[in-house]
This record gives sequence, C-alpha cells and structure tokens, in this order.
Amino acid sequence: MVTAFQNTQVLLLSFVLLAACLAKLAVRHPAPAHDHVHGVPLPGWLPQATRLDSRPFAVAVALVEGGLGIALLVTSQFSVRLVTALAFAVATWTVSELRVRRPDAGCGCFGGLSAKQVDRRTVARALLFTLAAVAALGAPRAGFAWLHDAHATVGLALLAVEVALFSLISPEVATLWEKRAAWRIRREDEPCDRRHSPLAETMRTLRASAAWSAHEDTVVSAVPLDVWREGCWRFLAYRAVSDGRPAELIFAVSTAARGRRVRVAMVPAEEPALR
Amino acid sequence: MHHPEAARRRRRAAVLGAPPDSAGPPARPGAHAGTVLDASPHLLVLAVPGGEVRLPLSDTTAIWHGDRAGPDVLRPGRRAVARPYRGRPGTERVWIDAARVTGTITAATRRSVDVDLGPHRGTTTVTIPETVYDRIRVRHPRLEPGYLFDTVCVRTPDGPRAVAPGTSQPGYRADALTAPEPDASVPGESHGTATWFDGGDAPGAAYPAVDPEGRAGGCADAPRGCVPLPLLSIGSGLTVHNACTGRTARIPVTECGCVAARFCDRCVQCGTSPRGRLVELTPVAFAALGGDLETGCFNAVLRHDRGTRRW
Repeated sequence: MVTAFQNTQVLLLSFVLLAACLAKLAVRHPAPAHDHVHGVPLPGWLPQATRLDSRPFAVAVALVEGGLGIALLVTSQFSVRLVTALAFAVATWTVSELRVRRPDAGCGCFGGLSAKQVDRRTVARALLFTLAAVAALGAPRAGFAWLHDAHATVGLALLAVEVALFSLISPEVATLWEKRAAWRIRREDEPCDRRHSPLAETMRTLRASAAWSAHEDTVVSAVPLDVWREGCWRFLAYRAVSDGRPAELIFAVSTAARGRRVRVAMVPAEEPALR
Repeated sequence: MHHPEAARRRRRAAVLGAPPDSAGPPARPGAHAGTVLDASPHLLVLAVPGGEVRLPLSDTTAIWHGDRAGPDVLRPGRRAVARPYRGRPGTERVWIDAARVTGTITAATRRSVDVDLGPHRGTTTVTIPETVYDRIRVRHPRLEPGYLFDTVCVRTPDGPRAVAPGTSQPGYRADALTAPEPDASVPGESHGTATWFDGGDAPGAAYPAVDPEGRAGGCADAPRGCVPLPLLSIGSGLTVHNACTGRTARIPVTECGCVAARFCDRCVQCGTSPRGRLVELTPVAFAALGGDLETGCFNAVLRHDRGTRRW
C-alpha cells in the first residue's frame, strides 16, 4: 500500500509539472510594472536582468518543468526524484517570500493563470507538493511503468482524489474558467470596426452571398480592382459590364464576427483622365 | 499621380452613401510647406505642391531654425513650413528645416543615437549636441537599444541634429506595449495626442490602425496601439480637432502609423491628454491645425465616421 502511494505521487508530480509547463508556454504571465522605484525608472538592464517573471525566464522554467515531468514518467532514477523534490522545496520558499514581499503579484506558477496574489493556499499547496516529492523519493517504479502495473487502479483512484483536492485549493482553476468565458465573449463580441477580419473570411462571405450570385455574371475579372477597409466594412471593387458598357461592381462586406452582411452597388466605370 | 482616396470615396459613397462629414472638399489648409525659392525681410516665396506661394513677412513673424532665428536663415533650397495669421493678413510662424525623429533606438552614444523609424521609413542617426544632451536625457532616461526615442530636430547636411525632446520617453521597451482589450469599443470621439512626422509637403496623416489586408496599406506586424481605434485604409478621411486651438480639419490617411502605435504617451500642451497617439500629421497639416512644430504635439480629438461603424 505504501509503495502504491509512493508510485501515485510520481504520477501526481509528473501531471503537475507538465500542466505547469503547458500553462506557462500557453498563457503569458502579465508583467507587473516594477521597473520603477518611487516613479524613477531603473536602468534598462537591471529590471530586465532581475525579472523572475520575464518571458525568457518563464519559458526556461517551463522547459525544465516539462523535462522533469517527462523524466518522472520514463525513469525511476533517484537523481530525477531528488531534483524534483529540491525544485518543489525552492518553489515553496519562493512563493512564501512572494507572499510577504510582493503581496500584489501572482506567483506565475501556472503562467498567466496564476495572476492572483499569492495567499496561504498557494504556499500550502507548494508545501504539500514538496511533501509528495519527498514521499516519491522511495517510489520503485517510473510513472509509465506504474500505469501498466496490475495494481495501478487503486493508484489512479488515489491520483484522481489528490488532483481534485489540489484543484479545490488552486485559484488557477477559477481563473481558467474566467479566461475561457472571456475568450469566448471576445471572439464573438469584438467590435466590428476593430476586429481583425482576414481577407479569406471576407471572400468566403462574399461568394456565399445573394448579392454575389445576382451579379456574378457581370464581373469581367476575378481579380478585384481595389480592396480596402473602413471600420465595419471591407470594400471590394470589380470590373464589370452593365448593358454592354464598362462598369464597376462595388461590394461592401461586413467585418463582424457573426451575421455578416453584403451590400452591392453598380456604378459606371470612371473615364481615364486625359493626359 | 494616382489618388486612391478619390476613387475609394466615390466607390464607398455608391454602396453605403456619402458620410455626413464628407460633403464638399477638405477645408483649405491653413499652412504651407515647400522649398524656399526666394526671401527678403518682407517676403517669402515657397515652391509648394502645385505651384508657388508668396507670403508677406513682418516684424511679428516668428522664425524658427532650431531656435528663434532671424530672416537670414530663409535661404533658397531650405525646407519651410509657414502658417499665416488666422483671419488677418500676414505670416504668423515660419519653421525652417524642421525634422522629427521618432522610433526605436538601435544604438546610442553620448553624441549620437541610431533610430529605427519603422518598416517604411528606414533608419537614421541623430546627432545630439552637448548643449541639448541633458535636456534630451531628462525626457529620455533610457538611451538604450530597444527603447523609444522622439526628438524634434533640425536638418543639416550631416543628418538630423536634435534640438529638443519631442515627448517624455515611455518607460516600457518598444516591443512591450500593452494593447487595449480586444472587446474595447470605439467611442464616437477618441481623445489623445497628435504629433507630426516628416511626411512630405501635402496634408496627410499616419494613422496607427491601418488594416493590413488587401490594398488597405497597413503593416502586417504593426502593434494594436494603446487606444481603441477603428481599422481604416490609406485614403480614408480623418476628422482631427486640436483641443488647444479649436481648429478642425479633414485629413486623408497617407501612411500606416505603426510607429505612433508604439507610443502610449500624453500631450500636455493644454491640460493633460489621455494616453495614446491618435495620429501623426505631416508638418503642414500639423501647423494648419495650430500646432507648433517645436513643441511636438497637441491635445487632439479624433472624430470617427459613424457611417462605417454600422453594419
């Protein structure tokens, strides 16, 4: 039973390290404005060199975490377990220091998901992970090997319980849901006059519209004369023929996220200026 | 010369109707920019786009050439921007060989700064004389690669020579700009700062939010800026209001303002403006709106065309 518990901690630590790696790479930690002291900017190299939340530093930590997470899965080397335990011990010290010295800042443990200020739960969580890493020092199996073991069912159930408990004390879960909801809202509600609308999307909307179907036969060149944008509309001007005379077919295609409309107008072609 | 704005205005009006503020041609510019052809203490002759103008000078005309100067700096061949008095004859201000260097520092020494002016403006080296070095450093505490730089200069045969800072240097690195929330809506009027750039002698504007798709003219890697602005194109019309002088003008977008988009600074010409550059104007457009080239900015209001914001 003790062995099963130890092996489960290896899986738990591997899961946490890989999750932290992915979160750091995928969700940037917002950089607080701590390059000023009493309103006076520090020399450029100093804040850059000492920022623990700078992007290169976060990427480096993420890669180390990912490497450790994979190593825990594939090898039962004691050195890997020891480095993991030391890493979690250092993390515990770091978040406890942050809680005292930078009460306004998040720990960045899970990248941008850890933007809320460090509280006692975060320190307790890091401490529990350290204890789990100490318990895993004596685990006889690597993560993948334990998963293929006949007794792994008990371990997986224990792992599920532990993950659920850690999720309860982790503010990142709530942040993840908030961000997910915000991303969905932004995708749909981004104002049409600021929304980046790729030209391919405009062309799809145009070709599927009734306005295009009604005037397609008058277009004499598939290459538009001009394509430009003003706020909520992207305009496309085509050479066309109307009653045997050269004309211009102007389409205005909405740049909104949903329910894009298409308007059309036919105007006589402009006479080329005499030189 | 091809003018896409006229064709685009005609085509847009055909499909959406004419916007309410585009009736009639743009207002006659209240300033002139060109090359000095001839000058005397009482007359300045400039070669401007489309001909020449003769401007009367008097004792009250203020002449600038890096600092207050006399009529002796009005030499043929030099670049000049002149602003007539408003509502009475005579010339109020003349700027000779004014230049502006705005961009990202690529190298810096105590005597000169190399600046990347943006993807379509190239690079330049600004000489900083000893007499203005301290002034520049007070407003630019980080003369280091990667930080933003903005100075008012005077043209010399050896390149631009700095005479005054154009703004207070933003504290962030040029690539660390915080963009507005993607769902931030565009108000009917945007308040911020308007600056100027060396964009030729015709009225025009570099706008920070030019669409990069199609032939709109935007830069693919332009930042989103720190002010929510509608995406427009080269040739779109902007209604710019100088909150300090009360002057308003309709100015066409002539360039992508991807450098202006990196500046989240304020203007304090008349009160403190909200953060963010709304537009960079050519010297003649800036002066026509009442801006003084040596001060670098004015508190601006950008009125957005409601016609393109409904769908």
